[in-house]
Amino acid sequence: MAVIRDPMPAFELFQPTSVADAQALLDRYGAGAWVLAGGLDSFDWLKDRIKRPAALVDLGGVAELKGIRERDGGLEIGAMTTLTEVVHHPIVRERYSILLEAAESAASPQIRNQGTIGGNVSQDTRCWYYRAGWPCYRAGGNICYADTPESINREHAILQADRCVAVSPSDTAPALIALDAQMVIRTSDGDERVVPAQDYFVGPAIDITRMTVLQPGDLLTTIRIPATWAGARFYFEKVRDRQVWDFALVSVASAMVVKGEDNGAIIERIRLVVNGVAARPLRLEAVEALVQGRPRNESTAVIASNRAIEGAQPLRFNAYKLPLMKNLVKRAIRGVEGGTWTS
Amino acid sequence: MPKLVGQNYVPVDHVAKVTGRARYAEDYRVDGMLFTKLLLSPMPHARVRSIDTTAAMAMPGVRAILTADDLPDLEGAERGLTNEPMYAGEPILAVAATDELTAAEAIERIVVDLEPLPFVTDPLEALRPDGPSARLNGNAWGAPPPGGPGGPAAPAPLETIKWTAEDFGDEESGRLPMGKALEEWAFGDLDAGFASAAIVLDETFVAQSSGHHPMETRSAMAYWQNGKLFIHASTQSVAQTRGNIARWVGIPPEDVILISEYTGGGFGSKGGGAVSTSIPCLLSKKANAPVMMRITREEESYIGRARTNMTGRAKVGFTKEGRITALDLFIVQDTGAYGPLGDHRSAGLAASLIYQPAAMRWRAVNVLTNTPPRSQQRSPGPMQANGIMEPVITKAARQLGIDQLEIRRLNSPEGKALFGPVLPTGQRNHVTSAFVKEALDRGAERFGWDERKTRTGKRQGSKVRGIGVTVGPHGAGSIGWDSIMTIRPDGKLYVQSGVGNLGTHSVLDLARVAAEVLDMPWEKVEVVWGNTGNHLPWTCLSVGSQTTHGMTRANHAGAMDAVRKLKELAARDLGGAPDDYEVGGERVFRRGNPGRGMSFAQAGRRAIELGGRFDGHDLPEDINPMTKASATALAGLGLMGVAKDTYPRDGITYGFVIGFAEVEVDVETGGVTLIDFVAVGDVGTVVNPRSLVAQIKGGACLGIAHALFQKSVVDPRYGVSLSDRFHYSKPLSILDIPASMHAEAVGLADPETPVGAKGVGEPPVGAGYGAVMNAISDAVGEDVFRRAPVTSDIVLMSLENGRRMHAPLQAHV
Amino acid sequence: MDFLTWGRNPWDQAILTHVSWDLFWASLFAGVVFLIAHASYMVLSAHRKRHASETDAMEAARPDLPERIVRHSMVARMFHWVMAVAMFVLLVTAFFPIVGIKFAWVTWHWAAGLVLSASILFHIIHASFWLNFWSIWVGPSDIPELKAEVMREFGHEVPGPRPGKYPLGNRLYHLAIVLAGLSVVATGLFMMVRVRTPFFTRNPYLFSDGAWGLTYVLHGMAGVSLVGLVIAHVYFALRPEKWWITKSMILGWITRRQYLEHHDPERWEISRPR
Repeated sequence: MAVIRDPMPAFELFQPTSVADAQALLDRYGAGAWVLAGGLDSFDWLKDRIKRPAALVDLGGVAELKGIRERDGGLEIGAMTTLTEVVHHPIVRERYSILLEAAESAASPQIRNQGTIGGNVSQDTRCWYYRAGWPCYRAGGNICYADTPESINREHAILQADRCVAVSPSDTAPALIALDAQMVIRTSDGDERVVPAQDYFVGPAIDITRMTVLQPGDLLTTIRIPATWAGARFYFEKVRDRQVWDFALVSVASAMVVKGEDNGAIIERIRLVVNGVAARPLRLEAVEALVQGRPRNESTAVIASNRAIEGAQPLRFNAYKLPLMKNLVKRAIRGVEGGTWTS
Repeated sequence: MPKLVGQNYVPVDHVAKVTGRARYAEDYRVDGMLFTKLLLSPMPHARVRSIDTTAAMAMPGVRAILTADDLPDLEGAERGLTNEPMYAGEPILAVAATDELTAAEAIERIVVDLEPLPFVTDPLEALRPDGPSARLNGNAWGAPPPGGPGGPAAPAPLETIKWTAEDFGDEESGRLPMGKALEEWAFGDLDAGFASAAIVLDETFVAQSSGHHPMETRSAMAYWQNGKLFIHASTQSVAQTRGNIARWVGIPPEDVILISEYTGGGFGSKGGGAVSTSIPCLLSKKANAPVMMRITREEESYIGRARTNMTGRAKVGFTKEGRITALDLFIVQDTGAYGPLGDHRSAGLAASLIYQPAAMRWRAVNVLTNTPPRSQQRSPGPMQANGIMEPVITKAARQLGIDQLEIRRLNSPEGKALFGPVLPTGQRNHVTSAFVKEALDRGAERFGWDERKTRTGKRQGSKVRGIGVTVGPHGAGSIGWDSIMTIRPDGKLYVQSGVGNLGTHSVLDLARVAAEVLDMPWEKVEVVWGNTGNHLPWTCLSVGSQTTHGMTRANHAGAMDAVRKLKELAARDLGGAPDDYEVGGERVFRRGNPGRGMSFAQAGRRAIELGGRFDGHDLPEDINPMTKASATALAGLGLMGVAKDTYPRDGITYGFVIGFAEVEVDVETGGVTLIDFVAVGDVGTVVNPRSLVAQIKGGACLGIAHALFQKSVVDPRYGVSLSDRFHYSKPLSILDIPASMHAEAVGLADPETPVGAKGVGEPPVGAGYGAVMNAISDAVGEDVFRRAPVTSDIVLMSLENGRRMHAPLQAHV
Repeated sequence: MDFLTWGRNPWDQAILTHVSWDLFWASLFAGVVFLIAHASYMVLSAHRKRHASETDAMEAARPDLPERIVRHSMVARMFHWVMAVAMFVLLVTAFFPIVGIKFAWVTWHWAAGLVLSASILFHIIHASFWLNFWSIWVGPSDIPELKAEVMREFGHEVPGPRPGKYPLGNRLYHLAIVLAGLSVVATGLFMMVRVRTPFFTRNPYLFSDGAWGLTYVLHGMAGVSLVGLVIAHVYFALRPEKWWITKSMILGWITRRQYLEHHDPERWEISRPR
């Protein structure tokens, strides 16, 4: 009965070479199957002996899930493409630099070499109560250990909490939502389902045990990035404790098209996303609507930032996320205030 | 004469380390070796009612189960396993099986019936009138009784101390409540000091705990052969760990052969080895097979030791020029589930030394909590003292309009500076030397203090810069250790090194001194280390930055002994008096007549022929029994230099490193970026420049991490560690420091040791800690934080609200 | 089938977390089985009402009775329907997510729970002071009615009391609802401390793990029972021969004939209109 956290329990390892084979395996093992992408989330769970799948389906050998292709003037990124490949892709650099910045802010070079973009958007939350194997809502229990009068919850949610106060750990997710990416899912019955990135993520109110819309047997196969925001004015920032191997406290991503120059610039259209504040990355549609047509300046940024945090409810140790989110939203709209040091 | 001391060299083990060929404890394999896994307590304090291992023992592949009942009693001290876990994560039993998977599955089939007992994780809660105590029979360690002359002090008594509700009256203000202290000392006239002060400040600071987290966890592998225990383990101090293992296992030290050629870091957590090492030793005996215990990172976060956290309150009086007239320091130390640690005492001594108050009182309570056990972590106490004291100094300088560098220079120690309490002799202790002002001046110039000062506090966009300086002190040397070396017929010098190979190079550096004294080319020196079976001398623990000082002295003494014997031997064979001879070029020869002499190879052969004290058959009386046994085993191999360090020393050896930091604070995110860091050490003669610079930078990095984010977190409700993963405890990463940091030493020899060298490992830690926090204060205000780490949430909330918003006293947040 | 769901708390102690959600299916199944069984039985049943002639005679004897007899006051009806809506919301928000229909249910659930609690509180006060409190309760004095009604159910023409204002089945049902309802409301109110509401500081540590376990299990038990009870209730409300009662819960009154046909005027006295 005693709990022990290491080593990894035994399981059947399958290394299919096609999506169809992978799904056949998922179908065969049902709830006992576990999908392995880069392994950076999975191996935590497995080595901790908290998740005990009967079969591990390693997608590492599925060539059709890898690589970046041009498509309809945009890009199509295979779910198993590593973050390093995303960072180094010339078109990403040229037209979708926000994705480059976001992907490059993830973890460490070693982790980016191994971690995939599909895994990055589909990974589980890092709430330390949940990851410790405590029987919280997300683990199927009936309590949140992170939102009590005694909890240490500096990293947790200020928005859209519903029993669970965990946050999404994904760095690329806000960038993908800002780019209006489409997530291509192969459902268990072999159909293709295309979900806008902003709808790919699920909050606890809807499903407290899942972070995404993926159902058992589903696979995220590709991420399509349309031409819509190619070359737009981007802003990405991730605030974290350490500059390597750390999750965001709060991150922001925006894509903006402006008309006019400098001080006279008017925001023609914009997409604005924050992460680290809720269980899913939040696209701030109300703020977008509010600032569209307004000049891109400090006063617009202030209006936007006030609107952004409406309804936010801080926990004992995370009230700083309110000003932080406000300030990041401001920056996403008006940029970082100028001024550089001479040395 | 080749100068070795002060020259860079490539340590002999470097290639093995960087190519992965170096073998750490976990890399060994022996025929029939079993693996063990541990069952850890899920509760912070409990009593084992019963253990049912039936199902586990019935599993194929499970060979033996070790419980606390199989361990020798250590008179209440911490053991490898326990029947009364004092912290969540404490090992209760160990299963040996043919592989780890089987062992883990066996653990899952064991039912341990635990009775929960009262527990406490916050030291202040333990002091509340009706607060829980960490142990059934006490909640704090009292003052250790004074030791007998020369003998070790008796262990500190376990006491129960509760403060009154009135004592906690100050809590509302965010100041540390100050009830009865269990330890206290004072010197000077405190009241007069405060009365004469222009300003008096009273500030409270929370210095955090953090896990040591060396890269190599405390894995160990043991087997028994012919009644002797062979143990592969990870330790900072090879010679000193043998006796500890013997005690933990319950056998005589001669029966322990400890192999520890490489140690993947310790930072104080493996000072004298690890008590958990007893588990594979005793399990191996029980299972009658070799046993490997691989410690996971999670287990390391529980049993791998942590720094003591301290909440300190300092009331300080300053003249209008900034001189400290009086210091009243109160420390509540969280010593964890075991201990007692003495970091609070080191903190008090350090404060009295680097701030040189005219009068001072130090009071402390050393509180037990049900949190992972503590041990000394690189600069244990002085770093925390820097944390507690620096905000007060910074605030005073601001209020008095004095430059931050100037106020520290004004109060800094000089020469044989006094520190600590008045001793029974009526005198106060003093240091052997302090060249702090020289180091401050050197550093200020190198850092460009005056230029950088002009741009601090000014906002550029959302960024503000600030600079800070801190004097980091630490004890830096012990005396009285032994050395053994032999000049053998092959013409080489063999130096026995009992130091652990923990990355500091002191394991080899000590031989550089011996070689230099003997004028021996480095290529002809063989250092023998890492295995007590290779006959090692009585050596200091590699803790407290004492090794370089202590062991260069001992090896200087040993080499001088060898020189003396070479000269005697030459005089005896070649005529004249020993003083007519000198040593050089691998020869001993008549002064002024280099042709008349003999080579070291010949001398080595001749020493064996002559025997007696020349080749180690006759040994000095004053050496330690361990040295005597080792020297006896090595006798007859060549000319032996063997000696105890009996050089005089006037004072206590302390090293100092001055840290200078420039930070940039983003007032919109609260984020702090370290822009530049310069450190200058007053650490005596430099023995190994490259290693010294690495030590200063590395030590400073530990302090920088503690200033910025490194911590340990405990859930107060369940008393369970939350930062039980490497990335949760947030050690520094490479992008958190500037691309280049500068470190150097003033290089002024300590006058109280023959080589002039002092330790350097620890002083930079407090220097990094204090300098970075001072720089943050300089940028955004001296009242923005009163706890560490100073994370972005703390900075941002203070700036947004115009006052401090963080928990003022809570520990382990 | 396990009736309870267990977890292990951070101290690795066994804790109760829920009733097994299999019980929901069991309750649903039981409700439906009862419904089918009862409906089949009713097809064949020979339940004895008063003979039409007897009722005619009674009607003739009581010309003083008004044409419409008030059975449920406006207030009582409002209570019933508010409670009914709350109950439906509670059941839907509780069990739809469990069976896989996902939506944001928590706020709806506790809000409906508060409405239910308030309406129950109101009902208790109202019934205690304004209604004939004991008319709905079941006691030993009901045994003759039980005997008679059972006999009538089997087609026998027997003397003995007929129902007062509330038929016995109605009253037994009320008793079951009281037990389940009070359990679910009492536990539910405490459970609101476990989630975030505007009313309390969220504190899942208010009670021990053990006490919370019992609270959750009781709430779950009562909740799943209510599934079966509500199915039975709706079923009866929709049955043709009970339609007159359902109608009275909407309109508030029954006809004089219905009153005489189904009730014992001795046990439910209607005062003459002044």
